[in-house]
Amino acid sequence: MNMQDRPLGPDILARLTVNTEPWLSCDDCFRHVDEYVERLLAGATDPMPAMRVHLRACPACAEEAQTVLELAAEDAGVAVPAVEWQ
Amino acid sequence: MTTVGPGPAPVTTPVEQTDWVAALSIPGPLQERALVELHALLLRAARRQVQRMGLRATHVAEELANQAADEALMTLLGKLHTFEGRSRFTTWAYKFAVLQAATAVRTLAWQDREIHLDGLDLVPDGRPGPGHYAEAVDLAQALRAAVDTELTSHQRRIVIALLVDEVPIDVLAQRLGTNRNALYKALHDARKRLRAHLRETGFLDDQAGKP
Ligand SMILES: [Zn+2]
Repeated sequence: MNMQDRPLGPDILARLTVNTEPWLSCDDCFRHVDEYVERLLAGATDPMPAMRVHLRACPACAEEAQTVLELAAEDAGVAVPAVEWQ
Repeated sequence: MTTVGPGPAPVTTPVEQTDWVAALSIPGPLQERALVELHALLLRAARRQVQRMGLRATHVAEELANQAADEALMTLLGKLHTFEGRSRFTTWAYKFAVLQAATAVRTLAWQDREIHLDGLDLVPDGRPGPGHYAEAVDLAQALRAAVDTELTSHQRRIVIALLVDEVPIDVLAQRLGTNRNALYKALHDARKRLRAHLRETGFLDDQAGKP
């Protein structure tokens, strides 16, 4: 068996142990992301906790949500808020 | 210009989201105009995603963004009836192009890279932060053991590929013939098992919420 060594640094430890409750799927994240970013732009601090949890744990959804957030911010004429997932 | 939309009004007039759905649904000149404007909007979103992911503004990037916009338009039209007005129509539309573009960029970036799913060994990083050496090494060893003993072989492969080797989830889904949802669910279950094991072995204090 060809064993490959992979260093287990602090970033990986954090990724392995992040709490992903409450459960939300990537499909549900996609379903809600437009509403979620608009609520953030409207000033809500944590409008959908399950979305926040998913975006912290799923880099693909997070890098997509960031673009939707920026585009919606431009349309609304407001600054892009700092978000936890980046 | 971001507020243009279909409708009899001049293109500079903002339109309500309901106008978009109606304009896109009824064949005629208004629908044609709405399709052109929607495509432009999707292209803007696709280009932005392509930029975000570090693809330089080349012919390849532009072609990829255009293709993503085309495909997103088809997907969106098929789901037009699912738009509930929970956001602006434009925000709802962007996400289709963003998803399409992101997946295409990841696929391109990984097309020539092999993903090793067999044979793995996790070793503690030899460079923990100062002052945390013993703690970090202990946690890393506990996690390494937990990955070996607590996860199924399927979960272990997915955890290593996604979290350690950082294979994008949609790329891994393509290679394994599955989908993003199923992989994220496997990951969720694996993380739950790892956290439970760390809790039992005293490495995780759930009151504090983190290891
Ligand atoms: Zn996701």
